[in-house]
Amino acid sequence: MTAIAVSLCSVACGTTPDDRPATFEFVSLEVLAPACATVACHSSSTNARGFAFDTLPASRQALRSLVIVGNAQASQLIDVIKRNRMPPDEPMADQDVALLEAWINNGAPGL
Amino acid sequence: MRTIPIIFLTGLAGLALAGLARVAHAYPQYQLSRDQACTSCHLSPAGGGLLAENGIAVAESTATYNGSGAFFYGAFEPPSWLQLGGDVIAAAGAVDSGKLGAAAFPMQAEAYASAGGHGFTLEVTGGLRRPLDGGSPLHVAWSREHYLMWRQNPTSPFGLYVRAGRFMPVFGLRLAEHVVYTQRYGGMPLYGEAYGTAVEYVASSFEVHATGFVHDPIASAVEHGDGGALYAEARIGPHAALGVEGKYSGSSEVHTTYGGVTGKLFLEGADLLFQAEAEVIHQKVMAGGSANQLAGYVMGTHTITDGWLLDVGVGHFTQDTSVAGLYRDCVDVGVHWFTTPHVELLLTARLELLDKGSGPNGGYALAQLHYRL
Repeated sequence: MTAIAVSLCSVACGTTPDDRPATFEFVSLEVLAPACATVACHSSSTNARGFAFDTLPASRQALRSLVIVGNAQASQLIDVIKRNRMPPDEPMADQDVALLEAWINNGAPGL
Repeated sequence: MRTIPIIFLTGLAGLALAGLARVAHAYPQYQLSRDQACTSCHLSPAGGGLLAENGIAVAESTATYNGSGAFFYGAFEPPSWLQLGGDVIAAAGAVDSGKLGAAAFPMQAEAYASAGGHGFTLEVTGGLRRPLDGGSPLHVAWSREHYLMWRQNPTSPFGLYVRAGRFMPVFGLRLAEHVVYTQRYGGMPLYGEAYGTAVEYVASSFEVHATGFVHDPIASAVEHGDGGALYAEARIGPHAALGVEGKYSGSSEVHTTYGGVTGKLFLEGADLLFQAEAEVIHQKVMAGGSANQLAGYVMGTHTITDGWLLDVGVGHFTQDTSVAGLYRDCVDVGVHWFTTPHVELLLTARLELLDKGSGPNGGYALAQLHYRL
């Protein structure tokens, strides 16, 4: 019974290291869009503060002004997420921040 | 580069809470406990929007203070071929965004019209949405829904419905609060309407909704894909129901497939309604990569007394099953007070924990004022 429970939790909660692709498309569609691009915030229909992340063209445009390629620590994107805890209503998971940092530090491919 | 524009900071609380906006969907809290189907109280087979005659009667009978539930209290009576209504919602409260902040903001200001006869009607929802930063002021005026509907039995809530136009495909539980994980992440986000055609059948013992849709090619929309949605619900006796749901949405950027089940159980003696939804979601990024997700929500609703509802909900969302600890859970509490047939006060609060509380946590407490025209 315990083994079944552990197996189910392994599937539900995830147990492997984060091997998600650190690509522009993946971080845009799987990290930034669900977290930041709710309709009243950084979506194309609101474009809050001039940034939208709900499509790849919009995300590319936003990230070009928020990212310093190769330097996540100096990038405004990471600074805003960490210091101001964006998005503020549903905070971003540490694993997602790490994936964004890895993408930037790897040269922000696709940007 | 580390200097954050001041405007970015000052807008933080407002931006966060703007995401909490809602539109007045149906109150599925009343299904099974007061009636059988959404169409018992609403004109739309999806629920929400304009109330049918029985819906107005329910609003009148369940409110704490009596009064007319008719449009503008019956002071203006539209011709028989026209029905009018609307919803205005505003909220104020506190949000925990690392530090506690206060905010007040509008959530919805929309009017509804249904015009026609002999089973054929044009249904329009129009109103205001948030401005487009740097865009035209006219952007705020829009129509979220507009569709033609044919219903087999105009005088009965049951029968065949066919809709064509812009609307939200019926899919799973349709709770009013879009921050519920099975709504926000589960294929029914706020403003997720699309252009489509739906064939829907509602009976006292079951209902089926099938929709094919394409994304809005003109307005900036939340739904960027084209696809279909299916929801079927069978009622097991007068106080229980089981449903299955499926949806596919594909664009040139990402393909998403949703599948899930719903369950509803009303315990008459305790006046307690349980609603539950569980979904499995698969997202395929066309440029490479994929994610399997899980979303679930269970809500219990107790009618404290006429006009007062207490909701307690528990939610779970696993963002990617392949990554350890990448999930969040929440507890929601809501107290609804339907003071009159037109006015609802809602106190709602959420506590959200990432990875069992080891990540950053969030939450809010809001008071909402909802006025129905």
